[in-house]
Parts: sequence; C-alpha cells; structure tokens
Amino acid sequence: MEYAQLVTDDRIRVAILGSGNIGIDLCERLLVDDDFEIVALAGRRPDSLGLQRFVDRIPVIATDGISGLLPHFDSFDGVFDATSSFDHPGHWDITREHGKWIIDLTPSGMGRPMVPCLADRVDAMHLGLSVEPENLSMISCGGQSSAPMLYAITRGVSGISEVEVSVSVPSLSVGPASRRNVDHYVEATQELAAQVTGCPNAKAMLVLNPADPPVMMRTTVFVEAESIDLDAIRIACAEMITEVQKSVPGYDLAVEPYCPRAGLVSVTSRVIGAGYYLPPYAGNLDIINSAAVESARILGHHRLYKEVRT
Amino acid sequence: MTVYYDVTLRDGNHALHQQLSESFVRKYCAMADTSGVWAVEVGHGNGLGTSSFLAGKSAYSDESLLAAARESLREAKLAVHAIPGFATINRDLRPAVELGVEVFRIATHVSEASMAQTHMEYLAQENVTVHGVLMMSHMIDMTGLLAQAVLMKAYGGSAIILMDSAGRFEPKDVRDRVEMVHQEVGLEVGFHAHNNLGLAVANAHAASDAGASIVDGAAMGLGAGAGNAQLESVVATDHSDSHPDLRQVLGLSRLVESEFPGNLPRTTASSIESGLAGVFSGYAPQVMEVSAEFGLDPADLWRALGEHKIVAAQESMIREIAITLRMR
Repeated sequence: MEYAQLVTDDRIRVAILGSGNIGIDLCERLLVDDDFEIVALAGRRPDSLGLQRFVDRIPVIATDGISGLLPHFDSFDGVFDATSSFDHPGHWDITREHGKWIIDLTPSGMGRPMVPCLADRVDAMHLGLSVEPENLSMISCGGQSSAPMLYAITRGVSGISEVEVSVSVPSLSVGPASRRNVDHYVEATQELAAQVTGCPNAKAMLVLNPADPPVMMRTTVFVEAESIDLDAIRIACAEMITEVQKSVPGYDLAVEPYCPRAGLVSVTSRVIGAGYYLPPYAGNLDIINSAAVESARILGHHRLYKEVRT
Repeated sequence: MTVYYDVTLRDGNHALHQQLSESFVRKYCAMADTSGVWAVEVGHGNGLGTSSFLAGKSAYSDESLLAAARESLREAKLAVHAIPGFATINRDLRPAVELGVEVFRIATHVSEASMAQTHMEYLAQENVTVHGVLMMSHMIDMTGLLAQAVLMKAYGGSAIILMDSAGRFEPKDVRDRVEMVHQEVGLEVGFHAHNNLGLAVANAHAASDAGASIVDGAAMGLGAGAGNAQLESVVATDHSDSHPDLRQVLGLSRLVESEFPGNLPRTTASSIESGLAGVFSGYAPQVMEVSAEFGLDPADLWRALGEHKIVAAQESMIREIAITLRMR
C-alpha cells in the first residue's frame, strides 16, 4: 500500500485517539511543538474533561472514538493511540487500511517496539524501507525507562543469563484503562527487556505507589551475567542518561550501578515529569509521551526519506 | 463458623528466604490435610510469579511446589496468593487453574483494588473460589476501605480478606474494620495478622469475634517479619466446637519448629519499630542488611520508609532512602 500523499507543509499532521491522562498530556505537548499539528482528538465520552479541555484548541473533537476520525483521514499523516491495549488492534486495522502510521501508547505489543534513543542501536527497532505503514509500539512507561539502562548494562557485561525490570509508578497517574491492561503492560515490558538485552529470560513487574504527595516513578533493572565490568557500565549509563535527557530532561539515576552480589548488577532510574498536564510526579507520562513524540518525528523524517527514494 | 486458612507454606516462605522445598511441602501438606484446616496456601512469599532478584529467588518454581502440594492434599483446599502487576493470567493463573488450585486470592495494596479487576473477572468464570485481598489495610480510612472492598465484590470475589501486612493493628482496629466490611459488603470476611507488636493471636480472635469467618494462621507463626498469627495458639483458644484438631495442628507446629529452628519469627525491637512505622514486614531482612551496609540505625530507616509510605514490592527504595539518610 502506498503512503497517502503528503498533505501539507513540513509539519507532521496527526490525530489523537484517547482523552485520558496520556492523551491529554500528549495534546499539551504536541500543541507547543512546531513540528506537529493536531488535526483531531477523539474520545468516547462527550463530557470527558479531556475533550472539553481542547474544544477551542484542536479543530476536530470527536466523541465517538475512531469512527469520528473516519471523515478526516485524508487530512493527517498518522495517529497516536492512547486508548487501551484491548482497543488497539481494531484501531490499527483502520489506520493501516487508510495507509497511515500509528504510534501505539498502549502495551498491546503489536507493533515494532521503539525506544527513540535506541532506534539505531537495537535490531528490532530498525525501520525498514517497506512502504507499508508503520505501527510503532511505545510498549510502556517502564519499558521506556528501563530500556536505556538495560542497553547501557549490555555494554559492560558478557554472558547474560537473566534480566529483570521492576517499575513503581504513582497510583494517581494510572487511569482505569492502564489498570485493566496490567498483564499486557507486564508482558510487553518483559518482551522489550528481552529484545534490548538479547536474553529471552526476562521478567517485568509493576507496582503502584499510593503515597500522597506522590513518589516519583522508579525503575530498577537487574542483569545477571557471567562477567561484569562495573566501570564500563557506569560510563555507558552516564551516556544513555545524557541521550535520554535530550527529550526527557527529568530522567536520571536514583541509584548508581552496583553489584548486589557477584554476577548481578542493578541500576535504578527515576523520572521527574515535565508537567505538561499532570504535576511533575507523573514522570511515567512524560517518558512514554516523549518517546511517542520522538518516534513520530523519526517516522516523519523516515517517511520523507522513503518517498524521495521510491 | 470460622475456618482456618494456613499460610505457613506461602507467608512462611519469607522466613525461609524463599527456600521452601518440594519435599517439605509434601511432608507438611500430608499432615495438614487431615488436621481440619480449610485451605493450605503455597508459593513464594509474595505469591505467584514473584520469584525475582528484587523480592528473592525461589529455590523451587511455583509449579513444582503447587504440584507437590496437589499430590498431598485431599480434604484441605489448595490455595495461592497472586498480586496483579506480578502474576499474569497467561503465565501464572491459567496454569495454576489447570494444575488444580482451588482457591485464588487476588491481592492489591489496600487503595488499588481496581488493579485486580481483570484477574478476578477471569477467575470468576473458572470453577474456582476467588477471594479479594486488601494488603496493608492500615493505610486507608474506614470509608476508603469499604469502597475498595465493594469493588472487589463487584469483580466476583466471594470473600474479602483484610491483611494487616505491617502488623500495625490493635484488636479494636481489627474489630471495627471486620465488622464494617462484614455488615456493609455482605460477603465473607477474612483476616490475616502479623505479629510485629505481639498482637497477632489477639487480633485473629478479635476478627472472628467481629464476624470474620476465615482466619489466617501459620504453624509457629512462620511468616514475614515478626510472623503471622500462630495457628496452634489461635486453635487452642478457639472455644467453638468446629475448630481443627488441636493435636494435629500441634504436630504441624512441632514439624516447623524442628525443621527450621533458625528461621522462627518473633517479635523484636525491630519488628515493633516497623509495626509502629506501618511498613511491610517482609522488608526486615533488607532493612537489617542495608542499615548495616550504610551504618544506619534500623529504627531511623524504618521511620523513613514509613514516611515515604513505601508499599510491598518496593525493595529498591530501601537502598535509595538509606543513601539519602546517610547523606544527611
């Protein structure tokens, strides 16, 4: 299938599905980003705070989910899906039919995994030259925050036998869809950990912290390996932190790399949110939405590149 | 009528540093089966699917421990504890259903019942008993507690289990909560005590006096931190005519006492500090280890963990908070 004709200038024109915490934060972020233009926002409930919030700022506000986007598919390049992993498969069918890319912010795990800072470093994330529309999966906030640390650790170990990711996020930032999705979150996060480290023996865990005032998101990774060079890992971690901070300024180490015992290395990162919608404690929204925006930017440039080539 | 729910082979696995063996499960289950306890819960201390670097690696897989228990239980039901976010339906719950587990306790932190919806609704369609468990139940007010219990009923739970995971409650606290949930929710209520303040047995009795029909206990109290309500003590002081056979329950107690003399939990200065701070009992080993490593007084670390409202499964915060304390 051919990509639809580029509709307009260099701006990437997008539609957003989902008006929950993630969708709202994403809209706020894209509205102040010169590379993007939001054409439409679709939710399910006319009275939802998310939809009302953008009535004067986004041209099309649809209240009947993806159906509301159908008349407008010619006017955008791709879709951000911020609904739930149960709804994503249907959304992807429709966007693919229309030749549009989709950025999946749910943990459906259907599409190509994408962690922007690792796009050129991890095989599974390489964008091909196929003209088929892309489905890029953001996996989960825990996936986005653990992958750079896991990748950094792979720079200083050999013979990895097991990897583990445990994520704690403030309860206040986790909406109902994400709660029903919890198994998909765990499964997609551990699959990403396996892809980044090349070790199929991966485990992920998610815990919600109810403290109020909220405790910022923390992500702890463990890697068990035959040999561990802690100095190399420290250097690689620092490099990855700098890399991630370009788009997520609040990303940092909470606990430096250390070995809890011989043959095991652990790092903990934390994210202070940029505060587009929820307050800075919601770093989990920040890291997945930054990833989505950067992925769309990559896709935008990649698509232009492909069209020049073909 | 009160039934007894034996957590020795699950909560007790905390006290055994998750080293519980298949052979001990067989031995214990064979004896527990005829004792009159209603159910025997088996697995990693944090439940299905939690063997990990973070929470401790199990010596034996969930599957092998459950299979060993399944072979040995005829009268008593086989039960598991599972926390959404750790256990998943595909990896953990469905295989456990197929293996013949009869009672599933789906547990969340007391304010996060909605995390249990998908798991409880799935299990409610299977031919198994589903309990909704609210852990760290001291960390919410009465109104909040009731709302969370109502959610778990809506998801298909047939009983609501209140866990005093930090051993924070006194008998009056237990009575008020059990009575309210029992009357307002209209389901069976269970209570799971921890002995941080030395009140576990008294709290177990307070719960059943207030209407709880399921009482958790462990032989020798084998459980996280200061341990659980000592099963044999509760049974010995149960004056109803339907309690388990005391002689056999004392046999379970002797078995645990002789098999694990170095792991028997007790109420200590540290457990009282953690109880008062309202912090999950299972953190005791890490708190002691990290305090020693960073030269801290465990009391200060417990207090700081309590101030951060740390919930279960946040082991990595212990180190981070210790680092902050040392820098002060």
